[in-house]
Amino acid sequence: MLIEDQHSVEFRAEIRAFLDVAPSEEILEAGRKTTSVFAPFKETMAWHKILFRQGWVAPTWPLEYGGTGWTVEQRYIFAEECNRRGVPPLLPQNLQMVGPAVLGFGTQEQKEEFLPGMLSGEDFWCQGYSEPGAGSDLAALKCRADSDGDDYILNGSKTWTTYGHHANKMFALVRTSSAGKPQAGITFLLLDMNFPGIEVRPIVGLDGCPEQCEVFFSDVRVPKRNRIGEENKGWNVAKYVLEFERGGSSFGAWLVPALEKLRARSSLALDDSGRSVADDVHIQRRLTELEIDVRAVEHTEKRVNANLKHGENPGPMASLLKIISSEVMQKFSELQLDIVGLDALPLQTAALAVGSDIAGFGEESDMLVMPYYLNTRAASIYAGSNEVQRSLLAKAILAS
Amino acid sequence: MQYQYNEEQSQFKDMLRKFVQDKYGYDCHLALCKSEQGYSEEHWQQFAELGLLGLPFSENVGGLGVDSGFLMAIAEEFGRGLVLEPYIATVVLAGGLLAKADNSDLSNVLLPKLVAGDLKLCLAWEERASRGNPLDVNATATRSHIGDNLLINGEKCVVLGASSADKLIVTAVAEDGGLNAYLIDCDAVGLHVQAQTLADGQRAGQIRFCNVEISADAALFSDGKAAATLQETLHEALLVMAADGLGAMDQLLALSLDYCKTRQQFGVPIATFQTLQHRLSDMMIACEKTRSLLWAAFQVQGSSEFGERVAMLKAQIGSAGRYVGQQAVQLHGGIGMTEELSVGAYFKRLTVLDLLCGNRDYQLNYLAQRQTQLTVDAA
Repeated sequence: MLIEDQHSVEFRAEIRAFLDVAPSEEILEAGRKTTSVFAPFKETMAWHKILFRQGWVAPTWPLEYGGTGWTVEQRYIFAEECNRRGVPPLLPQNLQMVGPAVLGFGTQEQKEEFLPGMLSGEDFWCQGYSEPGAGSDLAALKCRADSDGDDYILNGSKTWTTYGHHANKMFALVRTSSAGKPQAGITFLLLDMNFPGIEVRPIVGLDGCPEQCEVFFSDVRVPKRNRIGEENKGWNVAKYVLEFERGGSSFGAWLVPALEKLRARSSLALDDSGRSVADDVHIQRRLTELEIDVRAVEHTEKRVNANLKHGENPGPMASLLKIISSEVMQKFSELQLDIVGLDALPLQTAALAVGSDIAGFGEESDMLVMPYYLNTRAASIYAGSNEVQRSLLAKAILAS
Repeated sequence: MQYQYNEEQSQFKDMLRKFVQDKYGYDCHLALCKSEQGYSEEHWQQFAELGLLGLPFSENVGGLGVDSGFLMAIAEEFGRGLVLEPYIATVVLAGGLLAKADNSDLSNVLLPKLVAGDLKLCLAWEERASRGNPLDVNATATRSHIGDNLLINGEKCVVLGASSADKLIVTAVAEDGGLNAYLIDCDAVGLHVQAQTLADGQRAGQIRFCNVEISADAALFSDGKAAATLQETLHEALLVMAADGLGAMDQLLALSLDYCKTRQQFGVPIATFQTLQHRLSDMMIACEKTRSLLWAAFQVQGSSEFGERVAMLKAQIGSAGRYVGQQAVQLHGGIGMTEELSVGAYFKRLTVLDLLCGNRDYQLNYLAQRQTQLTVDAA
């Protein structure tokens, strides 16, 4: 690594000094026990609020709306230090998904109404995009919003709504017209989860925990002033946000220290004789191969971020980043499983709940390995499957 | 050369498939996963009535004395049906070793009970440091102060069926440095079993032995044959476990084919997309390569080549099972990530299978070292 300039050194020291004292024990426990891209809800939102009070919650937002004014390098340093300290990653819905939509397409009035709660963490927004019949083919969505005076009346359902059971707000794509291309009749709406007629059903995942939800709407009234952008133009808003979701990433900041920890884990003595998994040359080679992949992701992210002017989105490179970062995380999760071996086999959901007093088997970090492996399979499915991303990428390079 | 089930085995397999389909819906699997015991005692008694528990054992202990093809047939159907009863733990692992023991006083008393469904056993051999090698044992059997009694000390990991077993067989190093196996009651003083639920719902246990005192006649072997017999038993068990994995892989391919043909996106079934067609072809290829290596191992059972072929099979099921499991989840998308479909349950079963009894890395090292040794011997 290059020697950092004086400004970066000072900046890093400032971040580190804050991180040393700011997170509570519970927040750090939640950080340790994160086995999905979505960290434990309660403690993560508590951390969100602490960062808000510090003014550091939304480094990617414009300064006038609560951003930090940091450079791209400073944002990466912040992400690196957060990962080093082990605080939970913030939930992306408020800051990376609905926030950019309101910032990019909202009226002044909407910005004033909705942005403060997103930023402070008083509100938690969930995403209502996918439907049972609209996954990879998101534009096929059917959830209907019929015009009725100053309101829309919403009927239908949404699925894969992460933490829908914790949310008080939702941003949703709904169908306002069936004329023309499927993309042409979609509208972007903001709603309250306590509007009458909304029902939420949590879905249990492979690790035994509810993370995703199905959400049902029957005659739910949503005021038209909650519409972001024009009617039937919601697809543009969603596309803009999806590219935000895919770009500006800092997986490298997570992967680099995680790989260090995995190397340390592989060198732990297995018994009194002192031998370890790392004695196996094959394991050493696999770790080295993984490191090359990790460094390639880290520097691709940094390169894309560095060349991006403020407010620009990364275009087809966003698809590339989504593919390589999800696949390196999956590769990491597999090697971790192979290194930890038998100790990873018992699935210990109860012991892994934050604040649990149930003693599990073995080291806490070993207990996380299996749920992490299982959950990380979703990385090539969510936010546009890797098959869809490869098609987008192919379309872009063939067209040029 | 036998590359498929013979007529008798096929009939038996068809009967088993029907039995499993009748008894084990996916709902039943989920309910058993969440139950305290983790399996159904009623099913176990039905296994006894159908003669499943006595298949590999000789007729003088009430068994049927049939070949491993029948055990493979059972395991394939159990894998396809996500069966959770500790069949491999009791019959193939512990029962298999007991049946080969020198100590016929023990086997003649215990095996009839096992066959009748009145006794469950488990085999405690894996240790944290052994990483799949059954001969790499830290547990010890030392002389106690009382007569010929022995004291067992050590720790065993992820012992399949430990939480339901009445008795266990533990491998330990005797004072002369030789490996032996010992039969112990699960309620013996100084024996601590911590029940575990594995990621696929199977039950196992972490077992600690602190000066567990046993009499000398609890030893299974008397003339140093324990190591070779233990390895042989594990090789047979791996053959059967691979058949279980193959049943799960075949079912995942069938489920994925069905899903891709019916799931519509972009106005067409997703099976229309070439990238998914190729994925399905690769999954099929993975299943067929595994099936070939399964039969290749079956053919040489009892010969000196068996260990090598079983290691190849286990390495193959490790990578192929992982690939088929991961891709089945991917092809199903979000719904494949949930408990609502059985896809995830098969994926987890294959994940656990890879890590048990020596994962792919272990088998590759074993094969490489064996090859090096052969080269050295030849020179």
